[in-house]
Amino acid sequence: MKNFNWLALGFLAPALIVITVFFLAPVILTGIFSFTSMSTSTGVTGGEYLLNQSGIRALADKGLNTATLDQLKNAGYVVDEKGLAALAERHGVATATEMRKLHENGQFSSRRDMERALKSLKANKIRSTKDRKAAAELFKHSLLNERFPTESKFRTAITEGGIPLEDHELIVTQAYTGWVWTVDNVKLLFSLPSTLRYAGNTLIYVTLTLMFNIGFGLFLAISTFYLPAKSASTFRAIWFLPRILPPVMYVLLWKWLTWDTGFIATTLSWIGVAPINWMLDTSTHAWVVVVLINGSFGASLGMILFSSAIKAIPSSILYASEVDGANRWQQVRYIILPHLRWPILFITSYQTLSLLTSFEHILLSTEGGPGRATEVWSLAAYHIALDNYGGNLQYGLGATFAVALVIIGIIASLFYLRFFNFNEMVAKPKIEG
Amino acid sequence: MQITLQNFTKKFDDVTVIENMNLEIKDGEMLALLGPSGCGKSTTLFAICGIHRVNGGKILFGDQDVSDLPSQKRNVGVVFQSYALYPHMNAYENIAFPLKVRKDKPADIKRQVHEIAKLTHIEELLERKPGQLSGGQQQRVALARALIRKPDVLLLDEPLANLDAKLRLEMRSEIRRIQLETGITAILVTHDQVEAMSMCDRIALMHDGKIVQLDKPSEMYNNPANKFVADFLGNPPITFLDAEHKDKTLLLPNGHSIASPNLNAAVKKVQVGIRPECFGPQFGMGVKGVVKFIEKQGREELFDIQLTDGSILRSIQASGSDLEVGADIDWGLSLDDLLFFDMQGERL
Repeated sequence: MKNFNWLALGFLAPALIVITVFFLAPVILTGIFSFTSMSTSTGVTGGEYLLNQSGIRALADKGLNTATLDQLKNAGYVVDEKGLAALAERHGVATATEMRKLHENGQFSSRRDMERALKSLKANKIRSTKDRKAAAELFKHSLLNERFPTESKFRTAITEGGIPLEDHELIVTQAYTGWVWTVDNVKLLFSLPSTLRYAGNTLIYVTLTLMFNIGFGLFLAISTFYLPAKSASTFRAIWFLPRILPPVMYVLLWKWLTWDTGFIATTLSWIGVAPINWMLDTSTHAWVVVVLINGSFGASLGMILFSSAIKAIPSSILYASEVDGANRWQQVRYIILPHLRWPILFITSYQTLSLLTSFEHILLSTEGGPGRATEVWSLAAYHIALDNYGGNLQYGLGATFAVALVIIGIIASLFYLRFFNFNEMVAKPKIEG
Repeated sequence: MQITLQNFTKKFDDVTVIENMNLEIKDGEMLALLGPSGCGKSTTLFAICGIHRVNGGKILFGDQDVSDLPSQKRNVGVVFQSYALYPHMNAYENIAFPLKVRKDKPADIKRQVHEIAKLTHIEELLERKPGQLSGGQQQRVALARALIRKPDVLLLDEPLANLDAKLRLEMRSEIRRIQLETGITAILVTHDQVEAMSMCDRIALMHDGKIVQLDKPSEMYNNPANKFVADFLGNPPITFLDAEHKDKTLLLPNGHSIASPNLNAAVKKVQVGIRPECFGPQFGMGVKGVVKFIEKQGREELFDIQLTDGSILRSIQASGSDLEVGADIDWGLSLDDLLFFDMQGERL
């Protein structure tokens, strides 16, 4: 550590802190969350031990034998304060007091034993058999729906309930209400049929939007290049609007345009077309709208980049092509487009990555609908983790979706770097002066 | 093909760059448009090839008026100063481009490209991209591309400006050789008088958007129409002395008087143009001065001589004198080669 520059570190510190807190930490936490079962029901802190009906069902599914299940539901009879209070209410305090004197904390494994204990009351007999049976029920003790704050208390309870030791692990795991470390999310990711659908949707979304982006950006850049400077900048400014408009406003305009009482439907109704929702009528409508919304938004970036790249072509080369007899179309085809190779490749790789992860325009417009026709991967991750119709927000599964997206993004960038030969892209030009 | 400019006028917005220019370039001739920067020579070239639109007058290729045709429709070949080769195409594709956009048959294109490559000596370079070619090679490719369509006129815009001195010399004769071999009409735009004089049949010397003199190179040097031409041509340049004209003699400012040629007696004041090769010891004596500066150029030496009245004359002589700065000299003038101008700069 010779020559270590503390001053430099001091100047870098704010940036380092910002990067760590706002960038690295969320990324690392997402990675961590993806290996947990965190959800609304588990919470993000610890949990308790609780067996409920659905827990019992899950245990049955996991192959716990019926005898043990019965024991869990019906763990025996205990003369405890709760039971005594109920007895006092039904048969008087005196009965309860005597019961306490005779059998306090008494445990009985079957109802017959419990009833025998009740029969043993001398001063306050419960005469009818029916009443005694009902009274016995008051002391029934079940592990079901009882909360245990710690694992040891729960283990004690099931031991007392006579559950065979070999079943303890399974039951304890099932009863835990907090989150646990797990790779189930990854397994789920690969087994859910909807995963394939989201992947397919993402592929459609990215491919179509990218094509529209670049095609339209190129069209705008080239057409404005041939316009007089003043009208060219006006046109560019118009096409830049989607980018400077707040996304909510921008999408709202699209909604207004496509509603069943919106501009398109109203205009078409004059020529006798029945009004429909042009955004959500069918999945084709939805896709067209989604691609147009994102494409018009993204085209402006390509337009600006391509425009400046065209302006960077030496005018003598354009003159030369004209003198050589090339018409406009040939000039575009043979001179301008080859010069736009790097900007096109750059926009392709940049937009692929940003389209993979950005879903705000879809969220605001179709929200993944109709059905889940336009639900792309990133939107699915958002829905699973943060905005779930069912209400159980599955943070862990959502994080797994996000991590998968990060991995896809990294693979895509590596592919682009290699395929587009990034080294050559940044290499010094070979022509001197 | 004969190229004719009739009352050619070019304006940029409100600024008139060239007004009513008339010029005729003969079939098969190589003409230089020579002049200092900003004189309108490149503008004229761009108007001939159609990159600039004409604001007045006509441009004729043979008998055809091309004034309103876009450059695509004029059959011209242009070599730009920067060569303007298409960087993404190799030399072959560059040369073939004019034929490709004309949709010639690939076999025809191939034959013609190889023909022209043979003419310009670049047959073995056809696979290379412009970035892998030297300046001179790029120049040859640009020339081949300009010639492949057999254009009506070949336009060369400062073609040698980007080359180093030795290559410039080589390409000078190469371009001339190719022009002569193809017999094409050519216009060379340059600010370099040596290029113009060594390569061209005729020179049109331009100044402020006008053609000042149109002549053969030697004629223009020996017989300049005015002071500007005399000043522009010749390296090292000519020097001028103001002289009094009285009784058929010219009195130079240092007191030396020379016999005047047949000048009009009404002219009282004359500017005498003295080229460096017209002043030296080989022409006798009478002009006294002090050596202020010596520039040794190897084969020759250039002297700046301060005369007794303070004016400076230049002299160029073969190397070998042992003069040093500060030495007094007494040299003479070659009276037959002196040039006389009136005070407005017109030749007398």
